[in-house]
Amino acid sequence: MRSLLNTLRLTLKELSAIRRDRVMVVLIIYVFTAATWLVSNAASTEIRDLAVAVVDEDRSPLSHRLTDAIRPPLFAEPEVLSPAEAARAQDEGRYVLVLSIPPGFERDLRAGQAPALMVLVDATAMAQAGNGAAFLQRLLADELQRYADPGGGASDPVDVVFRNRFNPNLTATWFTSVMQLMNNVTILTLILSGAAMIREREQGTIEHVLVMPVRPHEIVLSKILATGLVILLASISSLVAVIHWGLGVPVTDSLGLYALGAAVYAISVGSIGLLLATFTRNMGQFGLLVIPVIIVMLLLSGGMTPMESMPAWMQVAVGIVSPAPHFVAFAQSVLYRDAGLALVTGELLRMAAMAGVALAVVLARFRKVLAG
Amino acid sequence: MAPVFPPPSGPQRAAAEIAGLTHRYGGKAALDGIELTVPPGCMAGLIGPDGVGKSTLLGLIAGVRRLQEGRVSTLGRDMADPAARREIAPRLAYMPQGLGRNLYPTLSVRETLDFFGRLFGQGAADRARRIDMLLEATGLAPFPDRPAGKLSGGMKQKLSLCSALIHDPELLILDEPTTGVDPLSRRQFWDLIDRVRAGMPGMSVLVATAYMEEADRFDWLAAMDAGRVIASGSPAELKARAGAATLEEAFVRLLPDRPAAPPLVIRPQNASRGRTAIEARHLTRRFGDFTAVDDVSFTIPEGEIFGFLGSNGCGKSTTMKMLTGLLDPSEGEAELFGQPLRASDIESRMRIGYMSQGFSLYSELTVRQNLALHADLYHLPRDRRQARVDEVLDEFDLAPLADRMPWDLPLGQRQRLQLAVAVLHDPQVLILDEPTSGVDPVARDGFWHKLLSLSRDKGVTIFVSTHFMNEAERCDRISLMHAGRVLEVGAPAEIVARHGADSLESAFISCLEAELPPDPAPAAEPAALPVAGASGTAPRLAGMTRLWAQCWRETLELTRDPIRVFFALAGPVILLLTMGYGISFDVDRLSFAVHDQDRTPDSRALADQFTAIRQFAETPPLTGIADLRARMGRGDLAVALDIPDGFGRDLTRGDRPEVSVWIDGAMPFRAETARSYALGVLSDYAAASGAGQAGVNIETRFLFNQSFKSAHAMVPSMMMVILMLIPSIMSAISVVREKETGTIANFRATPVARAEFLLGKQLPYLAIAWVSFWMLFAVGRGVFGVPFTGSLGALAAVSFLYVFATTGFGQLISSFTRSQVAAVFATAVLAIIPTVNFSGLILPVSSLDPMGRAVGQGFPSAWYQQVTSGTFLKGFGWAEVAPSAAVLAAFCLAYVALAILGLRKQEA
Repeated sequence: MRSLLNTLRLTLKELSAIRRDRVMVVLIIYVFTAATWLVSNAASTEIRDLAVAVVDEDRSPLSHRLTDAIRPPLFAEPEVLSPAEAARAQDEGRYVLVLSIPPGFERDLRAGQAPALMVLVDATAMAQAGNGAAFLQRLLADELQRYADPGGGASDPVDVVFRNRFNPNLTATWFTSVMQLMNNVTILTLILSGAAMIREREQGTIEHVLVMPVRPHEIVLSKILATGLVILLASISSLVAVIHWGLGVPVTDSLGLYALGAAVYAISVGSIGLLLATFTRNMGQFGLLVIPVIIVMLLLSGGMTPMESMPAWMQVAVGIVSPAPHFVAFAQSVLYRDAGLALVTGELLRMAAMAGVALAVVLARFRKVLAG
Repeated sequence: MAPVFPPPSGPQRAAAEIAGLTHRYGGKAALDGIELTVPPGCMAGLIGPDGVGKSTLLGLIAGVRRLQEGRVSTLGRDMADPAARREIAPRLAYMPQGLGRNLYPTLSVRETLDFFGRLFGQGAADRARRIDMLLEATGLAPFPDRPAGKLSGGMKQKLSLCSALIHDPELLILDEPTTGVDPLSRRQFWDLIDRVRAGMPGMSVLVATAYMEEADRFDWLAAMDAGRVIASGSPAELKARAGAATLEEAFVRLLPDRPAAPPLVIRPQNASRGRTAIEARHLTRRFGDFTAVDDVSFTIPEGEIFGFLGSNGCGKSTTMKMLTGLLDPSEGEAELFGQPLRASDIESRMRIGYMSQGFSLYSELTVRQNLALHADLYHLPRDRRQARVDEVLDEFDLAPLADRMPWDLPLGQRQRLQLAVAVLHDPQVLILDEPTSGVDPVARDGFWHKLLSLSRDKGVTIFVSTHFMNEAERCDRISLMHAGRVLEVGAPAEIVARHGADSLESAFISCLEAELPPDPAPAAEPAALPVAGASGTAPRLAGMTRLWAQCWRETLELTRDPIRVFFALAGPVILLLTMGYGISFDVDRLSFAVHDQDRTPDSRALADQFTAIRQFAETPPLTGIADLRARMGRGDLAVALDIPDGFGRDLTRGDRPEVSVWIDGAMPFRAETARSYALGVLSDYAAASGAGQAGVNIETRFLFNQSFKSAHAMVPSMMMVILMLIPSIMSAISVVREKETGTIANFRATPVARAEFLLGKQLPYLAIAWVSFWMLFAVGRGVFGVPFTGSLGALAAVSFLYVFATTGFGQLISSFTRSQVAAVFATAVLAIIPTVNFSGLILPVSSLDPMGRAVGQGFPSAWYQQVTSGTFLKGFGWAEVAPSAAVLAAFCLAYVALAILGLRKQEA
């Protein structure tokens, strides 16, 4: 009881510390509004308006027809360029795909000579190159089919219907917005909680706290609670206001369960932030340690690239040290797949276990690190 | 005491002339219409309680604060004029308040002085000569290699003084130079000043001090109160004017409307109840191989005021920390009222009130909030809390300040707040570590009134350390500590008698001198400090020397923090390894299942087409749509093929049966990839069943990365991310750290230009970041086998520009922010988002929408990504990278220019 009261009291203290730090407050607001909106809106891996150039050396009705077939929404209106221009433009990274139609293409086709079309792909743009090329190829094949057999239907022996569950149009914003939110939670929670610890030491207040009748776990928990609370509130408001209202992503059905998961995630990331703080002596060291951790947690979470594409050993390793993949799995299940609590309990428990381990280490090192 | 130097004869300009000077902090006037002329060539002093504006005035005279209203002319130059300030800077020396606050803790004594010499553009030989001379004169010569942070308080002050004297200033400004220094060191310090002045008779010295006995020996004094000068003249004149015998008394009487505090009466201790409050037995504490406290024992009966004296760094604070339970002793034990004391003991903490040496309350809480927090944490009875807080506010005269923030209060009031917090829970024992250090005499007396009443009326046992001899005399018993050992214990009078001395101060000094080797400064040579003569370095060369001085110092400090260097060099490599293996767009082994309702050879043939490629990993067949929903809902299934009943029959008839491919759309990228694989499978299936594509062969050629390997595309892009984030976070600390520790004062008070300061500090980070680039390059080539097709020279050169820009970005943030936390936070938040999302790491900049593209191109990383990816994979040479290089160079210039604008040479 006493312990609980102390923790709550210290949490209030931490909250007022955050409130007084104007730079932090401004950055938190920026990150959960403008930055979330910007990233969700502007960066998407979906194939839409992909920049395509056409090198048309045939200039026949068919080549025009093929060029015209390349249309939004998948592709941007193609630019017709000379071979040299196209090569330079692709060097400069201006076009991911270049379609090259050889001279005499239509003539050769009519003559039954099986001419070749060439799709040049900038393979440095991994996220779009493969899929973009496949879609362009399919589009060209269909167009050529219609050309060869104007009245007839499709030639495929079967009629395939694609159904995308949970996100029928594969709108990338649905995904990137929530992932961006998670990234923000990761960045802010790690730095806020770690800084709360280091600041206490650098300002000398820890000396005072340690002679008061409070126990280390109360101090540690209060920092986690305060950081977690601020971040949780900010992220839920961002989810509702920016992502749901602003970007029109349907997320609100399972808000309660999502909030629970986000709370567990914030606590586990906050614990890791404190853990990092116990391994560093000053803000300079902390900053250098926290940046790689943030990047690894961000990029290897399954939120940027699919978990399946990591080597198996790395999937296991990341799953053990980072709560981020568990949160990504949790968020996808809850927000898109309408999974109930029963389906995601495993992920919640894993995140909680990480928090537990990190906090245990922090407590074990607490006195040694802070007073020594 | 020391000889008093008469002002030199002959006409000379005033050291400083001040007219109509008013200075406000957030609307509150710290200086209010000051009119003052400081006479030249003498020892001039500013006296007055805390918070009356002494430091502000000194800062304005030294030109380190921005003039708001009025006129200040120093050595005849108008301090409002930047050109005049630049010109006068080499003739001034300013030593800010705070023990060793302008020193760099990891730099050795010689390195520190070397640094200051370079700041004034001195050549190597000149510098060496001056340093030897100063070290000899100050007695620091035996310790040239000791880091400044490991010096005792007195030695730190001497070193600070040396660094102020290295360029033969005409005006030496010292802000409370002896606060917190023990009497012996204080005496040595003033002797040194006297010798310096003997060697440089024309030099003016302006000192702010809280020690009246020191002020008594100055030539000229200005007494200040509430932002105004209330009297000036020689000490004798001031005393005569107030009709007082001592300067302290005179000062109190000169205060306009302050009722004289009742004289402090030392009441005898009540008859002791005989209980022992604190007992220390053979306490020893070691830090590594350094013994801070060595076999200390003492017993303090209940209700006693026990004083603890000793030079700085002698182990007083460590002993006190062991008695509060902050530190566990290495050996020996401490008891509180007969109970052994342990660090984890909550019960005993309720009985102790502790006040640490520095301010250790929460600066983000108001006075009242701090008290309320402690009332809650000590669990005072709920109904008493509010009342007790009010009671304490009244008792310590804090009620009018209840809603102020602690750092807005002058030191004396802050210390009162700390004491109020320490006694809030009515502890039986108070442990106070230098509670009155830096507090003015009036406030100190008030403080001791409280202590006496606590001890005599409430029976509180008080264990207090101090440097003030008149405070030590008020204690019931005192102990003298030196180098971790207790030399003397007893009542003050007893100790004086034992040493046959005339005062406690001389007893203390003789006791210490018996322990110490004699002060190596040869007191017999009064003119020990000859003027070294002006050094003539060309101005431009001097600028380079100053820039190099900053660079050299930053490098030294960096190498003394090996953990930071390790993180800075190893972090990038570890990141690249993790990311190179981890980030991949090669989507493989997508879980796949079939719901085959037809079960004919035709349907199986279609399903086999899907499972034949490695991109789809087959899982058990689906039993129905419900099963599909459940498995996809759990995330166990990425792709499902639904073949309806009658598929084989319709196919044979040529009726184009319909099949469905279900894809988990929760992650759109994966879904699109799955869809493109499925399309590929279906094309193959169509081709196999004889339906051609009108005889056209569509060939796809992957440029630049023929094998379409993620690592080849990712490694160059990851270099962009890593070389953005790590160098910027590294340099983000550089300037703001100096603001926090106080060494920024050296930048403000010396002729260093802003560009010299910033560039000098940036160079070491630039070097580390460039080394880091080569390491990343080697890992990319060696470990990941990424082909390199372009010009290495071009890549290396552009990389240099890039890390110049990214370290510059860090410095830009650093020059605008006030705390290291804010700097790290701002750098991370502002850099990560555009770098990861809008610079071509995941998506090419060309496929971003216009806003995203604009954000990306407003940052150096998007430009550098084209160069890394181009030189690695596309065979770029100098010509192709030139446009990006030009943009990056513009970023470098812009960041440096903005950082210069953001960094103020003067404080507000």
